[in-house]
Amino acid sequence: MASAPTSKYNSHSLENESIKRTSRDGVNWDLSEAVPRLPGETHVADKEVIYICPFNGPIKGRVYITNYRLYLRSLETLSSHWHFEADACVFQDSALILDVPLGVISRIEKMGGATSRGENSYGLDITCKDMRNLRFALKQEGHSRRDMFEILTRHAFPLAHSLPIFAFLNEEKFNVDGWMVYNPVEEYRRQGLPNHHWRITFINKCYELCDTYPSLLVVPYRASDEDLRRVATFRSRNRIPVLSWIHPENKTVIVRCSQPLVGMSGKRNKDDEKYLDVIRETNRQISKLTIYDARPNVNAVANKATGGGYESDDAYHNAELFFLDIHNIHVMRESLKKVKDIVYPNVEESHWLSSLESTHWLEHIKLVLTGAIQVADKVSSGKSSVLVHCSDGWDRTAQLTSLAMLMLDSFYRSIEGFEILVQKEWISFGHKFASRIGHGDKNHADADRSPIFLQFIDCVWQMSKQFPTAFEFNEQFLITILDHLYSCRFGTFLYNCESARERQKVTERTVSLWSLINSNKDRFKNPFYTKEINRVLYPVASMRHLELWVNYYIRWNPRIKQQQPNPVEQRYLELLALRDEYIKRLEELQLANSAKLSDPSTSPSSPSQMMPHVQTHF
Amino acid sequence: MPATQSLKKRKIVSASCDSGTSCPAGVASCPASSCPFRSPRSPRLKLLESALLLGPRPTAGGMEFSELIRTGRAQAELLRGPGAPPLRGTLCVTGHHLLLSPGPQATSDLWLLLLRSVDSIEKRVAGDSGTITLRCKDLRVLQLDIEGVEATLDIARSIEALSSLESVITSFPFFYRPKGLRLGDAWHFHPPEHYYKRVARETNAWRLSEVNEDFSVCPSYPRAVIVPRAVDDDALARSARFRQGGRFPVLSYHHAPSGTVLLRSSQPLTGPQKRRCAEDEELLRAVLAGARPGARGFIVDTRSAQAAKQARMTGGGTEAKAAYPGWKRLHRPMERGRPLQESFVRLVEACGDLEQSMDRWLSRLEGCRWLAHVKEALSTACLAAQGMEREGACILVHGAEGTDSTLLVTSLAQLILDPLSRTMTGFQELVEREWIQAGHPFQLRCAHSAFSHARPKHEAPTFLLFLDCVWQLGRQFPLSLEFGEGLLLALFEHAYASPFGTFLCNSEKERCLCEVRTRTHSLWSGLNQPKEQRKLRNPLYVLNPLAIWPSVEPQSLRLWQGLFLRWTRPPEPSEAAWEKVWQIVTDKEKTEGSQPTVSASEPQP
Repeated sequence: MASAPTSKYNSHSLENESIKRTSRDGVNWDLSEAVPRLPGETHVADKEVIYICPFNGPIKGRVYITNYRLYLRSLETLSSHWHFEADACVFQDSALILDVPLGVISRIEKMGGATSRGENSYGLDITCKDMRNLRFALKQEGHSRRDMFEILTRHAFPLAHSLPIFAFLNEEKFNVDGWMVYNPVEEYRRQGLPNHHWRITFINKCYELCDTYPSLLVVPYRASDEDLRRVATFRSRNRIPVLSWIHPENKTVIVRCSQPLVGMSGKRNKDDEKYLDVIRETNRQISKLTIYDARPNVNAVANKATGGGYESDDAYHNAELFFLDIHNIHVMRESLKKVKDIVYPNVEESHWLSSLESTHWLEHIKLVLTGAIQVADKVSSGKSSVLVHCSDGWDRTAQLTSLAMLMLDSFYRSIEGFEILVQKEWISFGHKFASRIGHGDKNHADADRSPIFLQFIDCVWQMSKQFPTAFEFNEQFLITILDHLYSCRFGTFLYNCESARERQKVTERTVSLWSLINSNKDRFKNPFYTKEINRVLYPVASMRHLELWVNYYIRWNPRIKQQQPNPVEQRYLELLALRDEYIKRLEELQLANSAKLSDPSTSPSSPSQMMPHVQTHF
Repeated sequence: MPATQSLKKRKIVSASCDSGTSCPAGVASCPASSCPFRSPRSPRLKLLESALLLGPRPTAGGMEFSELIRTGRAQAELLRGPGAPPLRGTLCVTGHHLLLSPGPQATSDLWLLLLRSVDSIEKRVAGDSGTITLRCKDLRVLQLDIEGVEATLDIARSIEALSSLESVITSFPFFYRPKGLRLGDAWHFHPPEHYYKRVARETNAWRLSEVNEDFSVCPSYPRAVIVPRAVDDDALARSARFRQGGRFPVLSYHHAPSGTVLLRSSQPLTGPQKRRCAEDEELLRAVLAGARPGARGFIVDTRSAQAAKQARMTGGGTEAKAAYPGWKRLHRPMERGRPLQESFVRLVEACGDLEQSMDRWLSRLEGCRWLAHVKEALSTACLAAQGMEREGACILVHGAEGTDSTLLVTSLAQLILDPLSRTMTGFQELVEREWIQAGHPFQLRCAHSAFSHARPKHEAPTFLLFLDCVWQLGRQFPLSLEFGEGLLLALFEHAYASPFGTFLCNSEKERCLCEVRTRTHSLWSGLNQPKEQRKLRNPLYVLNPLAIWPSVEPQSLRLWQGLFLRWTRPPEPSEAAWEKVWQIVTDKEKTEGSQPTVSASEPQP
């Protein structure tokens, strides 16, 4: 007892024992092997391996590889391997199970050679995109790992092997079609558009104005299609300023675009200047248009060297420009890498807070949130229209516009509203999911990869922490979105832009993630949700009020996992269910009563038969 | 002047004010300082009057409060920090309170601050007005902008003098007479006796001893303590002489499922000569024998081995292994005293420092070491609890005096193990038994909070650290505690400054001398009023019969924002959520309640 390390008291209580593994959504279990199998998923190989669990030590298991997942079931039960005396573990008397969609695999490496000594030193080391690594030891004889390595590489990185991504093979059927969730015309109509200042244009119908924009755009009524074409020449990748959101009352707007192509010589473009002035004039309440450049000032200046830049005061008299100091995708990637270093496999304990600080992750979160708050505040209280851009307008810009819209418009805080927000500001406006995530791609060191969308979801989580009643969805919803950001089971996050998705017929050939979620919404509902209209949320973006999303970033650590799912929500849902149950029973009894009253022949014993039945529930 | 007479006179004085005003400000027996209350007589004001006007006449160590009040009133504006609108009105200083009565057109109620809760005061004058910044013991920062330089200085001096009065019997609890409560209510908590009844049901190895009936054996223990049946009072008295402050080992908790016990004491006075005491050794032997034959014991010393050894030089020490067969010593050094107070001060400073560059916040938070102390406390408590539950061992906890970290460990260990202590009543009983009656010197420890400029003498936030640990437990086990954050916040506030008598004095002995029980109201009766329940109770509570083992890893421990950032963050969202939960739970109960009605209305054949 004296030797017991102080930090391994695991919580165990009723609260945790009530947490049971729920079978994964929509999955059929192959009973002979007890391996889950999706429709369209096919078995490729299986093999006996030793899984080197960073928490419990080596454990013998059988790994099943399909075209969708890597599934490991331990051959021994965990309790015999559990060396801690204070275990009280949720896995007790059950096999350890790993269920890893191949899409989350970022890198597969061989560890050890044919001659390496030491137990379990020969095998495979798998780096995942979702904050964990997997390590399997194999027998040294007969190149036993070569097959596994090749099979895994083929199916985890199908692009390099001219294989289809699993989403195109997935034959799952859901009773709702998630592709129907977002209809741009309907969403703009909800916002009250078009109106006499803003029109819907189909100029980009075949993506010839801008290949990374959606086909349908909302632009100022006074700007002709010809104007738009001329403005496009002055904006990086032709991403012209278009409307994202309009305030229902004061009619100020959030407009998004890419940087102007100012360059070293400080080029100007009359059409662009005029266009911005037209945008400004759609709102008569204020004399200036506010431009938020998401980048740090120096970066914006440096971008001039590559032809980019920002709107200068001289050229744009009626605009005010602010820099929001958010760093680029490379900085974010390195920051998240540092987070992984301190949480996986072992949590850096001795200087936890200063280690966390040195990753700067929360600081980046803070800057993104602060930027979005400024945008929202400008529109709502400052009554000024806002233009947001960064360099290309598909990373930081998407973060800022979508977060500001989430703060301003309570519609986006519902489950479907949030899906529409993601679909609109991220997917349709060309956040480069394929490049940032690297779906099915083996180049793990690709400099284009970056956790920009994860960072956005983290910001949403921070907001939901601060406003526990404002969001219809719960933490599980956000985690599910992130899981399927990588999984490649759904077509939702595939490809970089709408034009590519259209070419690949993604909506016809794949299933939408929203089908999964909307067909089983209860799992993702926040029981605290209180619907409010027109309330603007201003989260506190001070470092004091931000915290690391432990349930996501450290969820593989069993000591943390026990707090999942949130017992308060569990209990709350139980209470809600109980209430519904009561109301139902009540109605039934009342019905039975009225039936009896109207039908005197009913057996008098029926109440007593009914009552015990009722009581068994409570 | 007898009290009744002055009361009458005051009424006359108030009648002589503008018609329609009443004047409770004269409480401080200073008729000239009366201030007009133009606002309609709100219920709160009536309550205030009844509270302030009754009771004996306040004096401060022979000196009347009036002599300390330089000025009765001034026009002032009160800034209460973010979220609360500023308040304008007439400011009055009374014997125990600072009052702000808003002008006639104002709709808001009278604002009232207990002077005792002022931790530090800062005054600044400029032109013909002044500013007083009050930093309160509950970590609130208030700013008063006052018209007139003289008035500012006078009010500041009055507050300074009145907020630092040390006499217990002139403190506000001796005058506080709230409506709806009767004196003497809820003082019938006699925890040792009450708790003994429970122990006696579970085992007969223990008895209730009244060896300390007159507080002569141990001045910091209550009259009755629970001790091994096999040890007689004489032996206890001799063991007491061998323990610092007479705090001989007594039962703190009996863990029925394993039949083991948790004891607490102070350090043995072995001194440099390594003295021994046969009765003390016999007492601990009897503990093991009473548990079961061959039972083992652990002595959890809350000091490092080094510090325990050093204590011998000043007459203290620790149990020699040879003298206590069956007992094994474990050292778990915990921070106490001044370093703990400094940690608290640094944390509050960091939380209030809105200027500081935010990218250094986390390392600054770490540098405060407060969360490290939370971790130490929780893991030592886990160790003690684990020893009992898993190893079937008896545990004796002590540090040096046995009135601080010792109580922290024993009370937390009980919360971890004992489902009853996690109920509303059980927790109040735990605080009463393991802190108040067990002789935690509240008056010394809580004389100042984190803002005082005075050099700390005996101040230490041990009790706050306990509350923080309980909060962490509640956060990790949101359903297992019957009470919520509201109760913990209330206990924090009342421990530092309170209209109730519960946290007055340093020990039962002192409380008896001051007649606290008969002359003040108990906090428990205040808190247990039905109107308080919604704030204090956890609507989601379900009885959890198991031990709750907290995770003490640093990423599992959080800054208690509800306390440390309470006055700087907008409080609405979390309160809204709390209210929502209450609604759902009460809705559910209503539906549940209607169930029998339906079955009752079943037509009878």
